Amino acid sequence: MTVDYSTLTAGQEVSNTTIVLDSNTITRYIESVSGDSTLRYPLGPDVVPPMAIAALGLRAIINDLGIPEGTLHSSQDLAFLGPTFVGDKLTCRASVKLNSVRRESRFVSISLCINDAGDREVMTGTTTLIMPATGTLQDA
Amino acid sequence: MPNWISGMNLEPIIKTITQNQINKYADASGDFNPLHINQPFARKSQFGRTIAHGMLIAASLSEMMGVNFGIDWHISGRMKLRFKAPVFPGDTATTFGEVKEVIDLNSKSEIVCVIGVKRQTGENAITGEARVMVNTIQ
Repeated sequence: MTVDYSTLTAGQEVSNTTIVLDSNTITRYIESVSGDSTLRYPLGPDVVPPMAIAALGLRAIINDLGIPEGTLHSSQDLAFLGPTFVGDKLTCRASVKLNSVRRESRFVSISLCINDAGDREVMTGTTTLIMPATGTLQDA
Repeated sequence: MPNWISGMNLEPIIKTITQNQINKYADASGDFNPLHINQPFARKSQFGRTIAHGMLIAASLSEMMGVNFGIDWHISGRMKLRFKAPVFPGDTATTFGEVKEVIDLNSKSEIVCVIGVKRQTGENAITGEARVMVNTIQ
Protein backbone atom coordinates (compact mmCIF):
# COMPACT_ATOMS: atom_id res chain seq x y z
CA MET A 1 0.00 0.00 0.00
CA THR A 2 1.20 3.52 -0.75
CA VAL A 3 -0.01 6.40 1.37
CA ASP A 4 0.49 10.05 0.52
CA TYR A 5 0.70 11.42 4.04
CA SER A 6 0.76 15.02 2.87
CA THR A 7 -2.89 14.67 1.81
CA LEU A 8 -4.18 13.53 5.20
CA THR A 9 -6.53 16.12 6.65
CA ALA A 10 -7.99 16.64 10.12
CA GLY A 11 -11.16 14.64 10.57
CA GLN A 12 -10.35 12.16 7.82
CA GLU A 13 -11.14 8.58 8.83
CA VAL A 14 -8.13 6.32 8.29
CA SER A 15 -9.32 3.09 9.90
CA ASN A 16 -12.56 1.34 10.76
CA THR A 17 -11.77 -2.14 11.97
CA THR A 18 -13.27 -4.93 14.04
CA ILE A 19 -11.06 -6.28 16.82
CA VAL A 20 -11.82 -9.70 18.28
CA LEU A 21 -10.34 -10.26 21.72
CA ASP A 22 -9.71 -13.96 21.25
CA SER A 23 -7.92 -15.91 23.94
CA ASN A 24 -4.82 -16.56 21.81
CA THR A 25 -4.32 -12.88 20.97
CA ILE A 26 -4.66 -11.78 24.58
CA THR A 27 -2.42 -14.57 25.88
CA ARG A 28 0.31 -13.57 23.43
CA TYR A 29 -0.04 -9.94 24.45
CA ILE A 30 0.20 -10.73 28.17
CA GLU A 31 3.24 -12.96 27.62
CA SER A 32 4.97 -10.22 25.64
CA VAL A 33 4.49 -7.47 28.23
CA SER A 34 5.13 -9.71 31.24
CA GLY A 35 8.78 -10.22 30.36
CA ASP A 36 10.79 -11.51 33.27
CA SER A 37 7.91 -11.25 35.74
CA THR A 38 4.29 -12.27 35.91
CA LEU A 39 1.90 -9.53 34.87
CA ARG A 40 0.39 -8.26 38.10
CA TYR A 41 -3.21 -7.96 37.24
CA PRO A 42 -5.56 -8.84 40.05
CA LEU A 43 -8.83 -8.70 38.13
CA GLY A 44 -9.13 -12.25 36.84
CA PRO A 45 -8.06 -14.05 33.69
CA ASP A 46 -11.01 -12.97 31.54
CA VAL A 47 -10.45 -9.25 32.01
CA VAL A 48 -8.35 -7.87 29.13
CA PRO A 49 -5.51 -5.50 30.11
CA PRO A 50 -6.55 -2.06 28.83
CA MET A 51 -3.20 -1.55 27.12
CA ALA A 52 -3.91 -4.64 25.02
CA ILE A 53 -6.90 -2.77 23.59
CA ALA A 54 -4.68 0.22 22.90
CA ALA A 55 -2.06 -1.99 21.22
CA LEU A 56 -4.66 -3.66 19.02
CA GLY A 57 -6.11 -0.27 18.11
CA LEU A 58 -2.65 0.87 17.10
CA ARG A 59 -2.23 -2.27 15.01
CA ALA A 60 -5.31 -1.23 13.05
CA ILE A 61 -3.77 2.18 12.41
CA ILE A 62 -0.40 0.69 11.43
CA ASN A 63 -2.06 -1.68 8.98
CA ASP A 64 -4.56 0.72 7.45
CA LEU A 65 -2.31 3.75 7.28
CA GLY A 66 0.80 1.84 6.19
CA ILE A 67 3.07 3.44 8.77
CA PRO A 68 6.57 3.67 7.25
CA GLU A 69 9.77 2.11 8.60
CA GLY A 70 11.56 4.13 11.25
CA THR A 71 8.45 5.97 12.44
CA LEU A 72 8.72 7.10 16.07
CA HIS A 73 5.95 7.14 18.67
CA SER A 74 6.08 10.59 20.22
CA SER A 75 3.15 10.65 22.63
CA GLN A 76 0.09 8.72 23.67
CA ASP A 77 -3.05 9.84 25.45
CA LEU A 78 -5.52 7.18 26.59
CA ALA A 79 -8.82 7.04 28.43
CA PHE A 80 -10.17 3.71 29.65
CA LEU A 81 -13.94 3.89 29.94
CA GLY A 82 -15.01 0.33 30.65
CA PRO A 83 -13.66 -3.17 31.15
CA THR A 84 -13.36 -5.59 28.24
CA PHE A 85 -13.30 -9.36 28.39
CA VAL A 86 -11.81 -12.22 26.42
CA GLY A 87 -14.26 -13.01 23.63
CA ASP A 88 -15.48 -9.43 23.18
CA LYS A 89 -15.75 -7.97 19.71
CA LEU A 90 -14.80 -4.29 19.45
CA THR A 91 -15.02 -1.65 16.75
CA CYS A 92 -12.01 0.60 16.29
CA ARG A 93 -12.34 3.88 14.41
CA ALA A 94 -9.37 6.15 13.82
CA SER A 95 -9.24 9.58 12.27
CA VAL A 96 -6.62 12.24 11.65
CA LYS A 97 -6.46 14.88 14.37
CA LEU A 98 -3.41 16.78 13.17
CA ASN A 99 -0.98 16.58 10.25
CA SER A 100 1.90 19.03 10.23
CA VAL A 101 5.51 19.32 9.14
CA ARG A 102 8.19 20.77 11.39
CA ARG A 103 11.79 20.89 10.21
CA GLU A 104 12.18 17.66 8.27
CA SER A 105 9.65 15.60 10.20
CA ARG A 106 5.95 15.03 9.76
CA PHE A 107 3.87 14.93 12.95
CA VAL A 108 0.65 12.96 12.54
CA SER A 109 -1.82 12.73 15.41
CA ILE A 110 -4.51 10.09 15.15
CA SER A 111 -7.64 9.96 17.31
CA LEU A 112 -8.78 6.50 18.29
CA CYS A 113 -12.23 5.48 19.47
CA ILE A 114 -12.96 1.89 20.44
CA ASN A 115 -16.51 0.71 21.15
CA ASP A 116 -17.88 -2.60 22.38
CA ALA A 117 -20.62 -4.64 20.73
CA GLY A 118 -23.24 -2.53 22.52
CA ASP A 119 -21.69 0.59 20.95
CA ARG A 120 -20.40 1.83 24.31
CA GLU A 121 -17.03 3.54 24.26
CA VAL A 122 -14.46 1.44 26.09
CA MET A 123 -11.36 3.37 25.11
CA THR A 124 -10.45 6.62 23.44
CA GLY A 125 -7.03 8.02 22.73
CA THR A 126 -4.69 10.06 20.63
CA THR A 127 -1.47 8.76 19.12
CA THR A 128 1.20 11.10 17.80
CA LEU A 129 3.74 9.71 15.36
CA ILE A 130 6.86 11.31 13.88
CA MET A 131 7.83 10.22 10.40
CA PRO A 132 10.01 11.57 7.59
CA ALA A 133 8.42 14.60 5.96
CA THR A 134 8.56 13.24 2.41
CA GLY A 135 5.04 13.04 1.06
CA THR A 136 4.69 9.51 -0.23
CA LEU A 137 6.16 6.45 1.45
CA GLN A 138 5.96 2.80 0.66
CA ASP A 139 4.29 0.48 3.12
CA ALA A 140 6.78 -1.62 5.11
CA MET B 1 -7.91 0.62 49.11
CA PRO B 2 -5.79 3.29 50.83
CA ASN B 3 -7.02 6.77 51.63
CA TRP B 4 -5.13 8.58 48.90
CA ILE B 5 -3.38 11.80 49.82
CA SER B 6 -1.02 14.06 47.97
CA GLY B 7 2.59 12.91 48.09
CA MET B 8 1.87 9.17 48.35
CA ASN B 9 4.03 6.97 46.13
CA LEU B 10 2.57 4.20 43.98
CA GLU B 11 3.98 0.70 44.12
CA PRO B 12 6.38 0.46 41.15
CA ILE B 13 6.76 -2.17 38.44
CA ILE B 14 10.29 -3.21 37.49
CA LYS B 15 11.15 -5.14 34.34
CA THR B 16 14.32 -6.01 32.48
CA ILE B 17 13.65 -5.65 28.78
CA THR B 18 15.05 -8.25 26.37
CA GLN B 19 15.16 -8.47 22.58
CA ASN B 20 13.13 -11.67 22.87
CA GLN B 21 10.42 -9.75 24.71
CA ILE B 22 10.50 -6.98 22.07
CA ASN B 23 10.15 -9.61 19.33
CA LYS B 24 7.18 -11.15 21.15
CA TYR B 25 5.57 -7.73 21.51
CA ALA B 26 6.02 -7.11 17.78
CA ASP B 27 4.21 -10.40 17.08
CA ALA B 28 1.44 -9.68 19.58
CA SER B 29 0.89 -6.05 18.56
CA GLY B 30 1.55 -6.35 14.83
CA ASP B 31 4.10 -3.51 15.04
CA PHE B 32 7.02 -4.81 12.98
CA ASN B 33 8.80 -1.47 12.61
CA PRO B 34 12.41 -2.57 11.91
CA LEU B 35 13.64 -0.05 14.47
CA HIS B 36 12.49 -2.58 17.06
CA ILE B 37 13.38 -5.93 15.54
CA ASN B 38 15.93 -5.52 12.74
CA GLN B 39 19.49 -5.05 14.03
CA PRO B 40 21.11 -3.92 10.74
CA PHE B 41 18.33 -1.36 10.16
CA ALA B 42 18.48 -0.11 13.75
CA ARG B 43 22.29 0.21 13.67
CA LYS B 44 21.93 2.84 10.96
CA SER B 45 19.32 4.77 12.93
CA GLN B 46 19.92 7.64 15.37
CA PHE B 47 19.80 5.09 18.22
CA GLY B 48 22.50 2.76 16.89
CA ARG B 49 20.63 -0.39 17.96
CA THR B 50 17.13 -1.72 18.38
CA ILE B 51 14.77 -0.04 20.84
CA ALA B 52 11.70 -1.30 22.65
CA HIS B 53 8.24 -0.28 21.48
CA GLY B 54 7.04 2.71 23.48
CA MET B 55 3.76 0.94 24.15
CA LEU B 56 5.58 -2.10 25.54
CA ILE B 57 7.21 0.11 28.16
CA ALA B 58 3.98 2.05 28.70
CA ALA B 59 2.22 -1.22 29.51
CA SER B 60 4.12 -1.26 32.81
CA LEU B 61 2.55 2.10 33.69
CA SER B 62 -0.93 0.74 33.15
CA GLU B 63 0.07 -2.35 35.15
CA MET B 64 1.21 -0.07 37.99
CA MET B 65 -2.07 1.85 37.92
CA GLY B 66 -4.03 -1.43 37.83
CA VAL B 67 -2.12 -2.80 40.81
CA ASN B 68 -2.70 0.39 42.80
CA PHE B 69 -6.26 1.25 41.76
CA GLY B 70 -7.81 -2.06 40.61
CA ILE B 71 -11.05 -1.98 38.63
CA ASP B 72 -11.26 1.82 38.95
CA TRP B 73 -8.35 2.03 36.53
CA HIS B 74 -10.31 0.00 33.94
CA ILE B 75 -13.41 2.13 34.04
CA SER B 76 -12.06 5.62 34.59
CA GLY B 77 -8.30 5.65 34.00
CA ARG B 78 -6.72 8.30 31.83
CA MET B 79 -3.10 8.92 31.04
CA LYS B 80 -1.09 11.31 28.94
CA LEU B 81 2.35 10.00 28.07
CA ARG B 82 5.38 11.50 26.38
CA PHE B 83 8.06 9.14 25.08
CA LYS B 84 11.25 10.96 26.02
CA ALA B 85 14.06 8.46 25.50
CA PRO B 86 14.45 4.96 24.09
CA VAL B 87 14.64 1.80 26.17
CA PHE B 88 17.18 -0.68 24.83
CA PRO B 89 17.35 -4.46 25.16
CA GLY B 90 19.11 -5.19 28.46
CA ASP B 91 17.76 -2.07 30.15
CA THR B 92 15.85 -2.24 33.42
CA ALA B 93 12.72 -0.11 33.23
CA THR B 94 11.23 1.01 36.55
CA THR B 95 7.92 2.81 36.80
CA PHE B 96 7.29 5.62 39.25
CA GLY B 97 4.13 7.31 40.37
CA GLU B 98 3.25 9.90 42.97
CA VAL B 99 -0.14 11.31 43.93
CA LYS B 100 -0.03 14.96 42.97
CA GLU B 101 -3.57 15.99 43.80
CA VAL B 102 -6.80 14.56 45.20
CA ILE B 103 -9.89 16.31 43.89
CA ASP B 104 -13.06 15.68 45.91
CA LEU B 105 -16.18 15.29 43.77
CA ASN B 106 -19.13 14.41 46.04
CA SER B 107 -19.00 10.63 46.55
CA LYS B 108 -15.89 10.20 44.42
CA SER B 109 -12.39 11.57 44.26
CA GLU B 110 -10.23 12.11 41.24
CA ILE B 111 -6.67 11.05 41.95
CA VAL B 112 -4.09 12.86 39.83
CA CYS B 113 -0.67 11.21 39.65
CA VAL B 114 2.66 12.13 38.13
CA ILE B 115 3.89 8.95 36.47
CA GLY B 116 6.76 7.77 34.36
CA VAL B 117 9.37 5.16 33.59
CA LYS B 118 13.08 5.46 34.29
CA ARG B 119 15.95 3.53 32.78
CA GLN B 120 18.62 2.14 35.10
CA THR B 121 20.71 5.21 34.24
CA GLY B 122 18.10 7.44 35.89
CA GLU B 123 17.04 8.85 32.55
CA ASN B 124 13.30 9.30 32.05
CA ALA B 125 12.08 7.09 29.21
CA ILE B 126 8.44 8.12 29.64
CA THR B 127 6.90 10.97 31.57
CA GLY B 128 3.26 11.77 32.03
CA GLU B 129 0.18 12.16 34.12
CA ALA B 130 -2.55 9.72 35.09
CA ARG B 131 -6.01 10.36 36.48
CA VAL B 132 -8.42 7.90 38.02
CA MET B 133 -11.77 8.23 39.77
CA VAL B 134 -12.16 6.33 43.06
CA ASN B 135 -15.05 6.02 45.48
CA THR B 136 -14.59 8.16 48.56
CA ILE B 137 -14.40 6.12 51.76
CA GLN B 138 -17.17 7.24 54.11
